[in-house]
This record gives sequence, structure tokens and C-alpha cells, in this order.
Amino acid sequence: MRTIRLLLRWSWRDLRAHWTKVAAIAVVIAIGTGGYAGLTSTTEWRKISYDASYGQLAMYDLRVDLAPGSFVDQGVLTALADGDAVAVAEERLIVPTQVDASTEGETVLVRGAITGADFSANGPHVNSYHAMTGRLLTEDDAGAPALMIERNFARFYSLADSGFVALGGGRRAEFVGQATTPEYFSVAPEGEMFMSEATFAGLFTTIETAQDLAGLPGKVNNLVVTLAPGADRDEAVAQLEDALTTLPVGATVFTRDDNLSYTALTTDIEQDQAIFNALAALLIGGAVGAAFNLIHRLAEQQRREIGIGMALGVHPRILAVRPLLVSAQIATLGVIFGVGVGMLIGNSMATVFTEFIPLPIWETPFPTAVFVRVAAIGLVVPFLASAIPVWRAVRVRPIEAIKPAHLTGKGPKRRRRHTPRNIFAAMPLRNLRRSPRRTALTILGIAASLTVLTGFLGIMDSVFGAVDRAETEAVGTSPERITVALDTFHPMMSPEVEAVGAAASVETVEAALRLAGSVAGPSGEFELFIEMADLTNGMWSPSVTDGALSVKPGLILAEKAAIDLGVDVGDTVLLHHPVRQGLAAYTFVDTEIEVLGTHPAPLRSVAYMHLDHVAMFNLEGIANALNVLPAAGFTLTEVQEELFALDSVASVQSVTTATQAVRDAFEQTLAIIQVMVVAILFLALLIAFNTAAINLEARARDHATMFAFGVKVRTALRMAAVESFTIGTMATVLGLIGGLAMVWWMTQRLLAETLPDFALPVVLKPTTVIIVAVMGVLAVSLAPLLTVRRMRRMDLPGTLRLME
Amino acid sequence: MLIELKDVIKRYGEGSLAVTALADIQLLIDHGEFVVVLGPSGSGKTTLLNVVGALDSASDGAVRVNSVDITAASRRELFGFRAHTVSFIFQSFNLFPGLTAAENVQFGVDASGSDADPADVLDSVGLGGKGDRFPHELSGGEQQRVAIARALATRNPILLCDEPTGELDFRTGVQILELLQEQARSGRAVLVVTHNREISRMADRVVELSSGRIVSDGPPRGGRAAVTDLNW
Repeated sequence: MRTIRLLLRWSWRDLRAHWTKVAAIAVVIAIGTGGYAGLTSTTEWRKISYDASYGQLAMYDLRVDLAPGSFVDQGVLTALADGDAVAVAEERLIVPTQVDASTEGETVLVRGAITGADFSANGPHVNSYHAMTGRLLTEDDAGAPALMIERNFARFYSLADSGFVALGGGRRAEFVGQATTPEYFSVAPEGEMFMSEATFAGLFTTIETAQDLAGLPGKVNNLVVTLAPGADRDEAVAQLEDALTTLPVGATVFTRDDNLSYTALTTDIEQDQAIFNALAALLIGGAVGAAFNLIHRLAEQQRREIGIGMALGVHPRILAVRPLLVSAQIATLGVIFGVGVGMLIGNSMATVFTEFIPLPIWETPFPTAVFVRVAAIGLVVPFLASAIPVWRAVRVRPIEAIKPAHLTGKGPKRRRRHTPRNIFAAMPLRNLRRSPRRTALTILGIAASLTVLTGFLGIMDSVFGAVDRAETEAVGTSPERITVALDTFHPMMSPEVEAVGAAASVETVEAALRLAGSVAGPSGEFELFIEMADLTNGMWSPSVTDGALSVKPGLILAEKAAIDLGVDVGDTVLLHHPVRQGLAAYTFVDTEIEVLGTHPAPLRSVAYMHLDHVAMFNLEGIANALNVLPAAGFTLTEVQEELFALDSVASVQSVTTATQAVRDAFEQTLAIIQVMVVAILFLALLIAFNTAAINLEARARDHATMFAFGVKVRTALRMAAVESFTIGTMATVLGLIGGLAMVWWMTQRLLAETLPDFALPVVLKPTTVIIVAVMGVLAVSLAPLLTVRRMRRMDLPGTLRLME
Repeated sequence: MLIELKDVIKRYGEGSLAVTALADIQLLIDHGEFVVVLGPSGSGKTTLLNVVGALDSASDGAVRVNSVDITAASRRELFGFRAHTVSFIFQSFNLFPGLTAAENVQFGVDASGSDADPADVLDSVGLGGKGDRFPHELSGGEQQRVAIARALATRNPILLCDEPTGELDFRTGVQILELLQEQARSGRAVLVVTHNREISRMADRVVELSSGRIVSDGPPRGGRAAVTDLNW
């Protein structure tokens, strides 16, 4: 018992003697464990938050949409939904509109939709609203030109909490707040990508106001239903579909799972988590590797005292207790700090999610279960790192362990034939060569953190590299090109299209068609958006990386699409596409079509086709989009303002707006990674500092001897810096290689599965290489400067042990 | 005088915990003197060596070495003093394990800026041909010779040796002492700290310390003996 007390006291003194290193190593472990817990637990609290938010705002179970352009009298739809399975059913009116939400600094003209709901009796009771800023509408607002603007859209354009918007048809309304509702937690308008807040404005108002704004008094076209507890959803759908057959217009019943916004967010959790899991594994791996190395070296410093203990006949088990107690202290501190780091990272991530996904409820409980699991690693590593040097020390003869390091029979084997000109320049490299195992461990420890840093930054580079590529491709040789979406299909010679061409701000107009379908090849099948335009003589054409643009019938596919379909240029694919039947009805058919070439844009679902071949769609002389060049002297804003006045124009946007939306969507996910990058930078700095501090202790005797011979502190520091520089450079090279491999795996394997529509290149931007080099080379090289005070205050006689 | 210590006192700690390591030390040593500082463990002999070598500072009194008042010298001047005036030889050699024998000697040359040839210096200590060996490839005696060569390569006028034979067998120890004696004959002041009274028999002067005070200072009792007559 007395021995244990002595060992405890002794290890406590060890802790106090090395408290900065012990604390720093504990923080390294904490960043690894806390970061792991924070990153891997997002699924849990996102699910909790999503469920709570969908619950609070009562997202519908079923939704009925009438055929486009069809309306029925208010009350008709609710009367049809009166079965036992229905708990609540509320009618709505949803009408498309153009929205002008321009601010003083920015023109914002986009497509949008007005959703009118029943606000009476504290409604709506299905798909209700939550005001993020401003106020919620009430039944008192019924019929008033007041609405709420959708939060994601408002945030994207930094709109004020309240203000005015102009709507199609010259109407104007006041928005009294920024609100969200389950269908808009992620903006996913029909037929478009999710996270479309850059191009789509949701406007929420009372049903009376919507009817007034749309000029449809007493009319509705939408029903949302909450099912009774225990009701069978499929049965309820069947009953409702049966009831809807009595209507004079077409109607479709959708479930919650058919809603793109809902599925995008819930699928998004799994996709994000797969990425975060991989990053978390790398983070914990890097931190554990670095902590292992640092603790290992710290424990190695006790080798001599272990030898003395062995010489005095102390049992190796007892001798092992003291270094293991220090490990226990590091492990304990690591776990305590880990809780703090985990909470910090969790809160930071929650802040990011809260900003980008406007849920009414965000619950971010500390992930205790995950943390306990990962904390076990944080506890084991210090013991393992100490046990190895202790085990090695107790296995040799005591005299070997007692010998000071500089007297042990270890050292370089190769003889040098020539004495270097400057011994101070040669010493750092000799020191490294003398202990290759320790040098390698140190390099690996630093390289581990740099690999993680490179990986995190590289993933962002790759994602934004792809977005940059998409933007470059969209701009092409026609940077002034503006895309105009029409509200529906119009003949090219129609007054609607001619009105665009006649606008004073427009120089040139080219017709285009955008159609949705799907494509199948030998090794895959996926959805496809076909853009048809004059690809040979038009104002813009895609760049072709293989094959050639041609007037021949055929597709220009994305490179990734060709790879995923398993086809080359000249092969044929099966295109599933719409064909017009009569005036406005469409049917889908399959047509074999040749692949004429490939384009480099990263989105695989975008394909191009020459406008000459619209006959296969039975859409000769029809357009639903226009490419426009502004007249000389006119800006994009002026074109937008002039074309916005035309009822047939749904949106007028720069060609880069869409890529900006994609960039924004990725930024939301990658903002989480940025939080982690800060943690990793700190981790790398801690490792650099610890390495320098432990190196200083290991070289203390050498430094003391140098000082005894009149070598200046700055010379010793310079030598330490050169040694660190060499370590840092090698670690940086390894870190960059490891990071590049990690980026490759993440982009080409993991994200290829979770984001199959997006081709991600492997990119390391120069700024990433510079950041990693600064951390790995500069910070590690300069870290010895942190030890200058200790060098200056070194107890020379004590260190030299003249009485030894 | 090369080394002048006047009324030197060295205390460690403060108040009731203060320990006086050196008290009222008066010592003069000139060029070419081979001085052995003798005393039991804790007598202050290593502290004396540290004060002379500017590894430690006196609490009181004056220390003048090679005309430099090191009690008043700045930190920068002390580095210069150690580089150009004194050279240490340690009991445990303190060679740089990553450097070969020749490179360890080269270190002495570079640290002091002298023009010595490391190979010649190694030859002079009987290690010609072993310059490319690393310390762990040399015997204890050879390592101490390298340490002496490193000190000699500085061409500094004072050699401060702390138990230079402490880790060596008798035969090797004698060889090392002969080497040091040669240095004194060539004009250097050699100050050897030891607890081995037998070694003091070969000194020009023996300074005996007890409890931090000089209790005797003069030629060896019973007269000076040749190195070959020593036995321990």
C-alpha cells in the first residue's frame, strides 16, 4: 500500500513536471475523441430534430394535387376526405408566380409559388408555419396583401425580416416575416434539385389572400391530410384516390415520402453521415497516431529510471506502474477535455445546421453513447503507448537501461569519410539519422495530422473544383449569356417568345428546349435533363472532350454519364423521353440514340442535343427556354427588369446562378468540415509544439554541452529548427501524399456512391498545399522557438551532471 | 594571473534553506599550472569548477579569468568567454552521439573558431585512424580522449576537467592524466576536480576543499610523483 502511495505521489510529480506536455497530449486525444463523437453523432440529433420539427409543424401524411391549371371550389376536396382514416384535412391554393425581391444592392427576380392556407382557428393544422424572423400570419390577415417569405430563399439573398415583394402581373405584397414549413425545410420545387433557394421563392399567405392575388376567388387546388393514429396509409391513399375519381379534373395523391424536400433531407442525413464518419475515422486515427508517438517518447524518457529500479531489484510490474500512472492521467484528462471538445464541435455543427436548415426545433444532445465508445480508445492508447517502451526497458539488462541515451550502443552504422565543413549544419541531420525509429515515429505522428488536414481541405477543394468546372463550362465563350425560363411550352413564333426578342435590352434570342427523361446503358440507368439548342452555330455550346458537336441525331453526355452508363462515343444508349401527344399531353417512349460526344461538366444528368432533332419529341417549333444576349450597354439587371414584366417569363438568370446555388448547397455541408479544419489546425500546432518540447528534453544534454563550449542559444535553436524543418518537410510530403490518397478515396469511392450525379475531380488547390506546408514545415520548424525560454534558463551544471 | 578568485562565496537557496557551497575562496592559477582540486563529495569542488567556467555564477566576490571579470559579464559575454577561454572535459564525456570522433573534435573547432585540424588533434591524443568512428564504437578511454581532443581543438588556454578518470579503469585513467599533464606543459592551465587523492600526487598544486572552504593549497604532500608511480 505504501508503495502504491509512493508511486502515486511520484507520478503526480511527473505530471506537474511535464504538465504542459501532458495537457497538450490530452488535448490532442480530446480533439480526436471529441471530434469523432461530434462528427459521428450528427445523424442521431438530426433525426431527433427533424422528427420533432416535422411533428411540431404537422407535415402532411397525404397530399392531393389537382392537374396543373385545374381548380375546384373551396370545400369540395375536404368533403371527399372524410373517411375514418383522416384526422385533419385542409385545402390550399398553390399558384406559380414570378417574384421580384430585389434589394438596393441586388436584383432578385426568380420563379416562385404562393401557397395559400387556412389560418382560421389558429391554423393551418396541417403543414403549419414557424416564423424564424418577423411574425406569423393570423386569421386577421385573411384577404390582406400580407405574406411570409420562405426562410432559405430570404437567407440566400440576405433579405430583411420584413419588406415588400413584387409578384407577376404587377401585384405587390408585404412580407411580414421569414417563415418555414415542412415542405420548405429544403427548397425542392417540382422537377428541380433540392436546395434550390437561389432560384425559387416560396411565399406563404392566407387562402383568401392567395385567391385574391391569383384572381381565383373561392378556388383551391391542393389538399393536405393528417391521418388518424393507427390508420393504414396505403388504405387511406386508395380510399382518397377512389373518392377523387368523382372530380371533373385530374388529381394525384402523394404521400410524404413522395415529397422531394422531405426525402432529400432524410436521405441527406445518411449521405452526410457517411462523409462525416469517414472524416471522423481519419481524425481519430491522426490524433491517436500523434498521441501515441508523443506519449511513447515521454515514457521512453523514464527508461533510465526503470533501469535503476531493476538494478535495485524492483519487480518490473511495479516499475511499469509509474509511467502507466502518467498515462492514466493523460487518458483521464483526454476524456475530460474530450467531453468539452465534443460539446464544442457539436454546438458548432448545430450552429451551422441551424443556419442552413431552418427547423423550428434543433436538439443537439451530447452523444454520450458514441463518446463512451470512442473515449475507450482515448483511454487505451496512452496505456499502450507507455507500455511498449516500458516493456522494452524491462526486457534489457539493467545496465543497458541505466545508461544515458548518449552512451547506449545505438547509433549510425555507416562511416563518414569526410568531415563536413560546418558541423553545426550537419548535426541536426545526424541527430535524426542516429534514432531512425524515433525519427520515423515523429514524422508519422505529424504526418497523420497533416493527412487529415490535407484530406479535409482537399475534399472542399475537390467539391468546389467541380463547381468551378461547372461554372466555367456554363459560361463558356459567352459569359454574358442569360437564360430565360418560360412558364410553359410556347411556339417559337408565338407572341410570348417574340416579346422577349422585341425587348429593348435584348440583342439576340435563341430558342431552347429543356426536357426531363432518363437514360440507360450497359452498366447503368439514371435521370437525364436534355437541353436542346443550336449546338453548332448558337451563342453557346458545350465543350466537347471526346467526339464532336454535330448536327447528327445524338447526345452529348457528361463524361461521368458515359462512364456510369458504360458507353463510349459512337455507342448507343436507350433514351426514355417524352413525346407530345396532341396539344399539351405527353407520353414517354424509349429511343436508341447515339452518343456523339462527351462534355466535362460535372453533373452527369445534363445532356445536350441539337435542336434539329426535336421531331423525336414531337416538339418542332416549340420552346420552353431561351438563351439571350443583352443588347449593347444593357446589364443583366436591366434585362431581368424588362423581361420580368412579361407574363410568359418564369425566370431570368445569369448562367452562373444555378452553379452558385450548387455552390451554396455544398457550402452548407462543407461548413461543418470548416469547423473541423479549425480543430485540426489546432491539433497540428499542438503536435508541433509537443514534438519540439520533447525534442528539447531529449537533446538537453547535447544543448548543455554546446552551451558549455560557448555555443549561443540562437545557434542551438537554429539547429533545433533545422532538425524540426527536416522532420516537418518529410511529414508534410507524407501528409500531402496521404491526404491526396484520402481525397481520392473520398471523392472516387465514398462520394461516388453517396453523390452519384456529381463527378468530383481530385483537386488540391495551391492554397491547401500552402496551408499544409505552413503547418507542417513552418509551424513545426518554428515550434522550437517556443522552447527558447527553457533553453535560456537551462540549469547547465545540473543538465551536464558533472558529478555523474 | 590567468585565474583569480577573490572572496568568492556561492550560496544555493534562500533564508533558512540557504546552503553555502563555497565560502571565502581565494585562488590564483597561472598559465602552465596543473592544479588538482581535491575533496570529498559535497565539498564544493564541482561548484568551484562551474564558477570558474562560468557555468554558474558566484553569489559574492570577484572572479577574473584571462583578464575577464566574469562576475560582471553579460550573458552574451559569458557565451564568448566559454567559447574562447575555457574548455570542459566531463566525467561522462558528453560527446555528441550522432557525430564521429573527428566531427566531435570539429565541433570544438567550430564552437571556438580556432584553426586546429581535427585529424592532427586526434593524432595528438593517440586516436589517429579512429576519426570516422562514432562514440558508441569507441571504448570509454577512447571516448574520453575524443572529449580531450575536442577541448584541445578549441585552443583555449584553460582546461576544466571534472573527474576525467571517474569512468575509466586505472590504466586508461593514467593515460588520460598524462595527456592532461602534457597540456599543462604546453602552457595551458589545467584544473582537475577529483576525489581521488592518488591523482593529486602528480599535480603541480593541490587545492583541498572541505565544506566549501579551501583548507590547503600547495604542492602535493610527500612531493610530486610521476604518473607512472600512481596507483589506485
